Amino acid sequence: MVAIIEKRDLRDFDWLTSLLAVSIVCFGVWQIYNAQPAESYWSKQIIGLGIALVAFIVVSLTDYRRIIDAAPFFYVVGLILLLLVLTPLGVKVNGQQAWLKLPLIGQFQPSEFVKIPVVLMLAKYFGVRQSGTLRLKEILIGCGILALPVGLIMLEPDAGQAMTYFPILAVMLFLSAVKIRYVVLTIVAGLVMVPLAFWVGVQTGKIKQYQIERVNVILDPESADPRGFGYHTVQSMITVGKGGLSGIKGDTETSQSVLKFLPEPHTDFIFAVTAENTGFIGCVSLLLAYALLLSRLVAGARQASDRAGMLVIMAITGELAFQIFINVGMVLGFLPVIGVPLPLMSAGLSAVLATFIAIGFVISVKLRRFVN
Amino acid sequence: MKLNDYTQNLSLRIGSIHVIAFILLSILGVRLYYLQIVKGEYYSEKAENQRIRMIPIPAPRGAIFDRNGKILVDSRPTYNVTLSNEPIKKINVNDRIDEYAEGLNLEPQFVVERLNLIKKQPEFEMMVLKENATIQDISWVESHYLEYPELRVELQPQRFYPHGPILAHVLGYVGEISPKQLEKPEIIEKGFRPGDIVGKGGLEQYYDEYLRGKPGYRKVIVDSRGRVQSEIEVVPPQAGQDLISTIDLDLQIAAEEKLSASVTKRGTIIATDPNSGEILVMASQPSYDPNVFIQGSSNPEGRKQIAAYWQDESRPLYNRAIQGRYPPGSTWKIPESMAALQQGVITVKDSNVVCGGGITIGSKFTRCMGSHGSPPLSYAITKSCDGYYYRLALKMKIEGLIEMIEMFDFDKRTGVDLPNEKVTQTPKSWMPYILKTEGKWSDIRTVYASIGQDTVVATPISMLRAVASIGVKGKMYVPHFLKEFKPVGPIGEPGGSGYAPERIGFGFQRPEPKIIPMTADQEDLMVKGMWGVVNGGGTGAGIRIPNFEIAGKTGTAQVAELGKDVGANKDHAWFVSFAPAFKPEIAVIALIENVGFGGSHAAPAAKGVYEAYMLKKGIPHEIQEIAKK
Repeated sequence: MVAIIEKRDLRDFDWLTSLLAVSIVCFGVWQIYNAQPAESYWSKQIIGLGIALVAFIVVSLTDYRRIIDAAPFFYVVGLILLLLVLTPLGVKVNGQQAWLKLPLIGQFQPSEFVKIPVVLMLAKYFGVRQSGTLRLKEILIGCGILALPVGLIMLEPDAGQAMTYFPILAVMLFLSAVKIRYVVLTIVAGLVMVPLAFWVGVQTGKIKQYQIERVNVILDPESADPRGFGYHTVQSMITVGKGGLSGIKGDTETSQSVLKFLPEPHTDFIFAVTAENTGFIGCVSLLLAYALLLSRLVAGARQASDRAGMLVIMAITGELAFQIFINVGMVLGFLPVIGVPLPLMSAGLSAVLATFIAIGFVISVKLRRFVN
Repeated sequence: MKLNDYTQNLSLRIGSIHVIAFILLSILGVRLYYLQIVKGEYYSEKAENQRIRMIPIPAPRGAIFDRNGKILVDSRPTYNVTLSNEPIKKINVNDRIDEYAEGLNLEPQFVVERLNLIKKQPEFEMMVLKENATIQDISWVESHYLEYPELRVELQPQRFYPHGPILAHVLGYVGEISPKQLEKPEIIEKGFRPGDIVGKGGLEQYYDEYLRGKPGYRKVIVDSRGRVQSEIEVVPPQAGQDLISTIDLDLQIAAEEKLSASVTKRGTIIATDPNSGEILVMASQPSYDPNVFIQGSSNPEGRKQIAAYWQDESRPLYNRAIQGRYPPGSTWKIPESMAALQQGVITVKDSNVVCGGGITIGSKFTRCMGSHGSPPLSYAITKSCDGYYYRLALKMKIEGLIEMIEMFDFDKRTGVDLPNEKVTQTPKSWMPYILKTEGKWSDIRTVYASIGQDTVVATPISMLRAVASIGVKGKMYVPHFLKEFKPVGPIGEPGGSGYAPERIGFGFQRPEPKIIPMTADQEDLMVKGMWGVVNGGGTGAGIRIPNFEIAGKTGTAQVAELGKDVGANKDHAWFVSFAPAFKPEIAVIALIENVGFGGSHAAPAAKGVYEAYMLKKGIPHEIQEIAKK
């Protein structure tokens, strides 16, 4: 599987993108340490980075076209893993059966990894078409490919992870020349349907009280019950605001995470820790690093030698951008609390590994931009 | 790019995804700017407020000693279970009532009251949920640390009254400031807060600001569960000032024993130094145990006992010495005689007035206990001749009596350093009412007033103050308990946080005595009369002590009409005195309620105090008695 490393590979290898991704993870390790200095999450994250880098190099040096060819296999394996999560092999954390414990491999979160087969499967399907606008049948098949894993994830239930799958399909359809009027229609429908669905959900009781509270605290954080379900949002905003221009500068003993005011500081709320410790300067730097990374990926997509490669990169780009926005938006208190990790920053092997495999894919596509 | 070949605007579409991603990141940037730069300070402060907690360190209250350094009130360490406000605001307290009540063995109703009170208070305050926590309570709190982080065990110095009911009325007790008091603006101004311990009654109340210490505090950092993580600052408390009182505990105990041994066990004994106004003894019975108020307010039995004190018809909570008002009977004749001499109604040379065995006013005959002819003043005092005074008062007229009332300050408080002193009622205070209802002041009221009945009801303290002045050339001192407040050193450095300046010691600021003008021969005549009461075969002859001459006056005050003066309506017995008669060192008044004749009930009670005094001074008297036999 691993191709012999040729000189051309080294020359064309996208060092800048790789370095950027590794730098963000290292910055993340520092913040994980700030979040929980007494715990070993930060050192585990370094080990995770090592494992992720190995996988990254393997993937990037492999011919992506062969991987895309094998997409159905990976897709089926992914579905099996998601099914296994729902069996007694799955592990329940915080009320969500999202983890799988397998002998030898250990515990991991399949919903993080299954994104990659889904991207490949969709890229394989939409990559073969050449011209003209999308037909309804193609759209439906695309939806079907997405619906199977998303449906299984909803059964865990992990709405947050399920949500991060949608940008993949959206990007695929958009770049497969879905008619602009459908795009506009979808956006308009979304703007109408989301509040409507929320309202119906509240009226019918399908949306639970804690979910309503999580939305209400966004709309009016001052009058929300700061010890109730608004607690996460209120504490997150306090933590971010407290950072000010340049952060708390080493006064870690009184930090929000050390005093346990900030929940989940090393995972979902790692951006709040960053904000507290490095302030506006550090946060904007991080956002700029993300912007640069995304730009590199988009540039790579433009250079792709075939449609499937371009779709893979753009789907991953869209997915990363979406996840960054949802996570940071939650931390900054204008989006509801949804358990979505911040790519490359949040502690957790599954997320880091999955993100690096995805970026490895991007490198692989760029390496083979010249059709042999 | 090759893909541009396709007729799908692919480049444009990729570009728009790129732009959308940038827009999303920009939104995050703007929001960050708002939270961190615009509202940064606001959130910094919020974060600080939620992690910094002030834990008060109670200050020990000043102790109270008797004049010889014997301890009268002290503080001892106890443990309280406290409830801190910060976490409780965020939880529904109704869920915890039963748990607290069960875990700490409290009444649910009491827990509800406490929780409601704490909910009204500003942040960072704490309140006592249970006082005198037992070992079981403490271990319950410690073991439920995680479930109820709002509960803490705090060391609390607690007031302790080692002598129980002895001196209870003088010392008072302490307790939490009442919600009613907290509504007063002057109380708020002084920085009092709910849960503060203040003096209630007695010296504890009167000298509260000096006895009270200044609490210190621990400024700590807490985590989200309210658990203390580290200490930023500790400001130690400043103790309250110790009070040295004028009380003589040995004499006090002697007086208490006499009251306990009396027939009705209701009455009061006061002893002062007539040369300064220092109060040596103030006993009032029935009494109460102040420790019940300290320890009992949070447990059902204690609260029952407190309620019983309030409902008891013999009124144990009331200080008979300064709040009781009784017709003074014949003791009233002493200031009255002095006034008659001054007003010239009688003179030292010619002080004889007809007794006549009584007097007829209109159709009503008012009798004297005997028939004394036309006695001189000293004889009238010694034998307590009522007829003499009926006629003397009619000569002085009611105006003369009112003049006497004003001279001896019977229309004012004595100014004793205790709260809630009552003012004596006299013909002066009754006059407007009598004129309104009866149109005029009739002679019969003057006659009754002459022997301390009807319109005269006097506090024992005012009677003692007036009579004691006779022995010391008319110097009427303000009676007082304060001898000295001890100094307390400063806490911290000036300008530093929590600085408390030194509290200087001071003695009693004695006001100049009111002088009752009297000539030496007037004084001599008066004292001779009073000397005769005890030493000259008078009404108090039963308490004569051979080498310690007491000058006194008995009183037997009618409570009900003649013939009905039995049982509960028996006369009040009075005895007011000083000794040694011609150079007094100590003045004693005794009042026993509803027992009958003053000479046989009140005088022996006063004698008990004199005997204790002699014992202390080393004046031999029993030896002499024995020798005589």
